[in-house]
Amino acid sequence: MGEWFAELSQKFATCFIEDGRWKWLLEGLGNTMLITLGALVIGIIVGIIIAAVRSTYDMNGAAMKKRGGAGYVFLKIANTICSLYLTVIRGTPVVVQLLIMYFVILVNVTNGVLVAVIAFGINSAAYIAEIFRGGIMSIDEGQFEAGRSLGFNYVQTMCFIILPQTIKVVLPTLFNEFIALIKETSIAGYVGVMDLTKAGDKIRGRTFEAFMPLIAVAVVYLVIVIILTQILKVIEKKLRKGERRR
Amino acid sequence: MSEALIQVRGLKKHYNNGAVKAIDGVDIDIHKGEVVVVIGPSGSGKSTFLRSLNLLEMPTEGQIIFDGEDINGKKADINLHRQKMGMVFQHFNLFPHKNVLGNITMAPMKLKKMSRSEAEKKAMGLLDMVHLADKAEVFPAQLSGGQKQRIAIARALAMDPDVMLFDEPTSALDPEMVGEVLDIMKQLAREGMTMVVVTHEMGFAKEVGSRVIFFDRGRIKEENNPQEFFANPKEPRLKEFLSKVLI
Repeated sequence: MGEWFAELSQKFATCFIEDGRWKWLLEGLGNTMLITLGALVIGIIVGIIIAAVRSTYDMNGAAMKKRGGAGYVFLKIANTICSLYLTVIRGTPVVVQLLIMYFVILVNVTNGVLVAVIAFGINSAAYIAEIFRGGIMSIDEGQFEAGRSLGFNYVQTMCFIILPQTIKVVLPTLFNEFIALIKETSIAGYVGVMDLTKAGDKIRGRTFEAFMPLIAVAVVYLVIVIILTQILKVIEKKLRKGERRR
Repeated sequence: MSEALIQVRGLKKHYNNGAVKAIDGVDIDIHKGEVVVVIGPSGSGKSTFLRSLNLLEMPTEGQIIFDGEDINGKKADINLHRQKMGMVFQHFNLFPHKNVLGNITMAPMKLKKMSRSEAEKKAMGLLDMVHLADKAEVFPAQLSGGQKQRIAIARALAMDPDVMLFDEPTSALDPEMVGEVLDIMKQLAREGMTMVVVTHEMGFAKEVGSRVIFFDRGRIKEENNPQEFFANPKEPRLKEFLSKVLI
């Protein structure tokens, strides 16, 4: 028993303490979080814009068409671009998108983290757009009519009445997307970024110890996800307070 | 008779390129202070007609002249006109993320740039009128149907509309709550509010209606003052309808 324990702590020292290898993991974790948060910000901003265009086209397009003018033409073009974007992004693997971004589109950008942020952001936007669009569509049409009947225009109705309700509906799904995104970024190593997964793999390569570093990486991901899930529960509880569903 | 507040001319609403004619040529003048009650069988187009008045349904053709302007015209700013046309829905449509006070003050504050204190003072006055002053801080989910509808009326009144449109305001209520909503509407009528009411409440039509209109297949088939309308219906379709609803 003592011998086994000694061997284990020896391996632990080799993997994490020697040459300060724990710092690799720390750096990797930092990059993983940076990529995830950066991508999430891009994803939410672009996603909301796409969702707004698509749901405006669905809900208000007919009225705008009747009124005529450049607004409708512009909306129709924007809607087509958004649909195309969703089809392409959701129809191809994220690894391929990341590689294309790094080796083709942003070939002059040497900062791998930046490329990863953009690639994952653009990917995530497609999914977040659909989350928001679903949320907007799930709000009872009567809410929209009530807003318009009071004299709010389309954008005001969206901002004051529909979106505040939408956020409550989509928050759990959005948070799940965030959690999925953290794990998805583990492929950032493909473009030479030292994220958490890559850091673990690097330790494996140097020490010829696979068990310890890879399990450690898995545990770190798991702990982050568990913490986020708990935060999500608290947020959901707060949102429910005061207002119950009809 | 005073001047017409709303003039409807040749109003049509067709679906599927004319295959379905929800409204098929309606002309009507609605005068200041009038209570126009619209009745008719389901699918007759009466709700579509009401919702066309503030363009919640876009008419296929026709004019709706309100405030001297054809609001169905391309240049009209419908949002400004809607501020003067209060609407009450069958399913209340209160904003669930706002409390009662927030529901009533939102439009005056955002659209009329009223200060919070001013808007809340006005809201409390309206809540007094609908006998719900004690519910100011409550969220819609905690209210009964009748209470929700009375709040919805207060919310529409907060914009000081020139006309109130009621789209079957009591149809989604438990029977014992119908009275409390109708009482508020009767009070409004007595105070001289111009109202267009789509309803199945014949008692309300008889008591406070200035005019009753019978809709069938997208057209106005008969219109008269309530006494004549109910005592001497002329159209066979109206006679049949009344024999079914007035038991």
